[in-house]
Amino acid sequence: MDSSNDEALDIIVTNVVATFRTRCHLNLRTIALEGTNVIYKPEVGKVLMKLRKPMITASIWSSGKIICTGATSEDEAKLGARRLARCLQKLGFKVRFSAFKVVNVLAVCSMPFAVHLIDFTKNNRPIASYEPELHPAATYRIKNLKATIQVFSTGSLTVTGPNVQNVATAVEQVYPLLFECQKPLCK
Amino acid sequence: MSFRVCRTCGGADIDVDQARGSAVCTGCGSVLEDNIIVSEVQFVEGSGGVSSAVGQFVSADGPVKAPLLGSGFHTSVGKESRAQTLQSGKRQIQQLGSQLQLNQHCLDTAFNFFKMVVSKHLTRGRKTEHVIAACLYLVCRTEGTPHMLLDLSDLLQVNVYILGKTFLLLARELCINAPAIDPCLYIPRFAHMLEFGVKTHEVSMTALRLVQRMKRDWMHTGRRPSGLCGAALLVAARMHKFRRTVKDVISVVKVCQTTLRKRLTEFEDTPTSQLTIDEFMRVDLEQECDPPSFIAAQNKAKMQQLEQELARKLDEVEGEISCYKDEIETELEKSRPKLRGIYAAYTKEIDPEDVEVLSSTSEPEEREVEDAELQAATQHLTQDFLCQVIQEEEEEGRANKTGDGEQEVGPEKEGVGPQRQVAPLAVILGKLPSSLDLQQTFQTFSKSETCHKPDDEDSESGELDLEGIDDQEIEKYILNDNEVQVKTELWMKQNAEYLKEQQEKEERIRKEKEQGTYKEKKKKKSKRKEQIEALTAGEAIEKMLEKKKISSKINYDVLRDLNSRGTGSGGGSSPSRASSDPPDPNNTNTTTRKRLNRRRRKKTSEANQDLVTNASIMGKRFRRLISSTSKKKKTAPQVETSISMTTKPTETAAEPSPEPEPDVSSTLSAAPPPVEEEEEEEEVEEECVSALKLVGDYGCEAEEEDVF
Repeated sequence: MDSSNDEALDIIVTNVVATFRTRCHLNLRTIALEGTNVIYKPEVGKVLMKLRKPMITASIWSSGKIICTGATSEDEAKLGARRLARCLQKLGFKVRFSAFKVVNVLAVCSMPFAVHLIDFTKNNRPIASYEPELHPAATYRIKNLKATIQVFSTGSLTVTGPNVQNVATAVEQVYPLLFECQKPLCK
Repeated sequence: MSFRVCRTCGGADIDVDQARGSAVCTGCGSVLEDNIIVSEVQFVEGSGGVSSAVGQFVSADGPVKAPLLGSGFHTSVGKESRAQTLQSGKRQIQQLGSQLQLNQHCLDTAFNFFKMVVSKHLTRGRKTEHVIAACLYLVCRTEGTPHMLLDLSDLLQVNVYILGKTFLLLARELCINAPAIDPCLYIPRFAHMLEFGVKTHEVSMTALRLVQRMKRDWMHTGRRPSGLCGAALLVAARMHKFRRTVKDVISVVKVCQTTLRKRLTEFEDTPTSQLTIDEFMRVDLEQECDPPSFIAAQNKAKMQQLEQELARKLDEVEGEISCYKDEIETELEKSRPKLRGIYAAYTKEIDPEDVEVLSSTSEPEEREVEDAELQAATQHLTQDFLCQVIQEEEEEGRANKTGDGEQEVGPEKEGVGPQRQVAPLAVILGKLPSSLDLQQTFQTFSKSETCHKPDDEDSESGELDLEGIDDQEIEKYILNDNEVQVKTELWMKQNAEYLKEQQEKEERIRKEKEQGTYKEKKKKKSKRKEQIEALTAGEAIEKMLEKKKISSKINYDVLRDLNSRGTGSGGGSSPSRASSDPPDPNNTNTTTRKRLNRRRRKKTSEANQDLVTNASIMGKRFRRLISSTSKKKKTAPQVETSISMTTKPTETAAEPSPEPEPDVSSTLSAAPPPVEEEEEEEEVEEECVSALKLVGDYGCEAEEEDVF
């Protein structure tokens, strides 16, 4: 993370999205009526259930597939998912916890310097793209890591990737490139 | 053109007249050639006296084959699909490009881009409009014209971001690196639109200087260039004493009022804004600023820090005050008369309780949980070690010893240790019935796997690991009965409409069921095409009809007899009913074989499929034909076959068979596609009497009517 730097860069994971299956059919109406903190959407066919302890929101489908969002770490996501499964078990469904997978991790990071986006884009032509008319940040996509980094002119980054390790690696990779096109801050 | 010598006089001097197309010998005057092919442009007088050149335009990138002569179809008849796409694309590019006032060179480049896009199959799944707009914008960017994506989206009435998405994708796929947008490009265009008259150039120059200053002040990264231009132009206009209001500017520049105001305030914050007009034109400040968003963030951070400091100070002050308070109270107590005896005990008890109650109401719960987690952590640490030890034991010994060991460890671990390598294994084993065999298998199972044990085993067994889950807390998530009732009522009220619809649907279905007209509408299932395995077409139909019982009014036995007798007749093609007799398949085979021999053009597979599908239609045909509504003929050819079939069985079978049967057989044989009919007709012609010959095609219909 801090390969060519004295200070340490804080990568803060803000969101982890995970999916898992309960391997049994769920009756959404029962869940909707007997659970607290649930929102039932019959048109779409899913139930939104929000847990407080790990602050997560889960979308539950009747097929038994569940998507868990809002966790701040991979372990938390797993814990939340298990809690959710336990809750469903108590409601009376034969829930089995299977196929848990972390699908997406979103992290933010801040550089101690501002970045000159136009230079950055010029140096990294096909990989980076910057379209000020559409979005204020330059997008840098790393294919082998499957990670996307959005660089803002203030030096803050938003990184998305399939797991936390990839995200960290992505930041490490992009740091030297950003360092080249930096603009030292006055104050 | 070199001509040979004149035939008559031998002179080599030959005069060729291009206009008349004749070659004449100047010596003797004999005409050597009369109708030379002329390559001149000829003119034809059209209606109204307009003369136009004769000929057709052949485009350079058109189809390879020659265009049609005669009445030139100017539309794309006979052209291949790719050429059509390119042509329509070109047309659209021209249209859109002319609206943007792009020159021909740009349009050609755009068309080249479009060709590349088409060859890479990127147009699939995208509207051609979007693709063309993206190509045009690509050209604008590479050429550096002052066209914005917003302009294109205005023309097409499409969301800018959708166009942007397409544009980004194309740029990436075509590996075209469009240079970044410079706000300076837009200034002359906007200045012109703001109508500064003679001074347009001066105002533009001032605005340009302003924009460059903004760039150096880091106002332009991450912002739409049009916003910056707007702000710069506004200031420049005011500097040159033109009264352009914010509204004028935004109508030209296409940004929001708020954006413009914001840019102006940001510019105000820079030191450049403090200069006078003359100073600005002459002097260029060296100092650069930080980006405004960064400054905003810094301000926020400062505010937070200030708040924290204030809070701390408040705490300190509070602390001081509470000290004083305590001191005062102790003094007061000393001065108070003391209670003796029983009451002394009471005074001591109350205070500490109050204090505790006040300060930590919410803590106990948290503490409990925290304690539980701590416990879990400590236990995990100790038992991880234990697990490793156990694993070693497992590797050494087998069922007997380790079984006991696991059982001991299992209950200990239940519901406590988090998922590490062996813990879940032990937990699961502890929960499972204590059959040694199972344990053995799990041991081997665990050995063969590596670190992925926890997850795999979870998924294998599907067991839910209950560690770290506080059941009590989860109970809170579930409502009790009263709450359930209330919620049910509320939910029912909310979703009354939806429920009504569902009920109505169910009622409808019930009614239809009662009436017997209920058709289960299988929405997603297509026509069920049963995969019937059969060697020949005839067999396939046989099998199909075995499954489908079409009509109760048919005497299947007679049919079968018919089939057995009808050799080489279309009756052979008619599949036998219900249980096909042994001779019939043979017959069908022979007939179909004959048919296959005779088949000229069409493929057998086609015929088979057609047979199967047509057989399904046959059911309907039956009823119609039997109920003597023969006039409703779906296709004449099929009717023909029916006739040809009627002739055959009547002759070959020599039965005055009841009419339905031959009709049935004929309709059965009517299933095959027209091609077979041809062959059947041939068969008819060969074998049967010349009924068909006499009557001809349409006569068959008449015959059929007679039959009915």
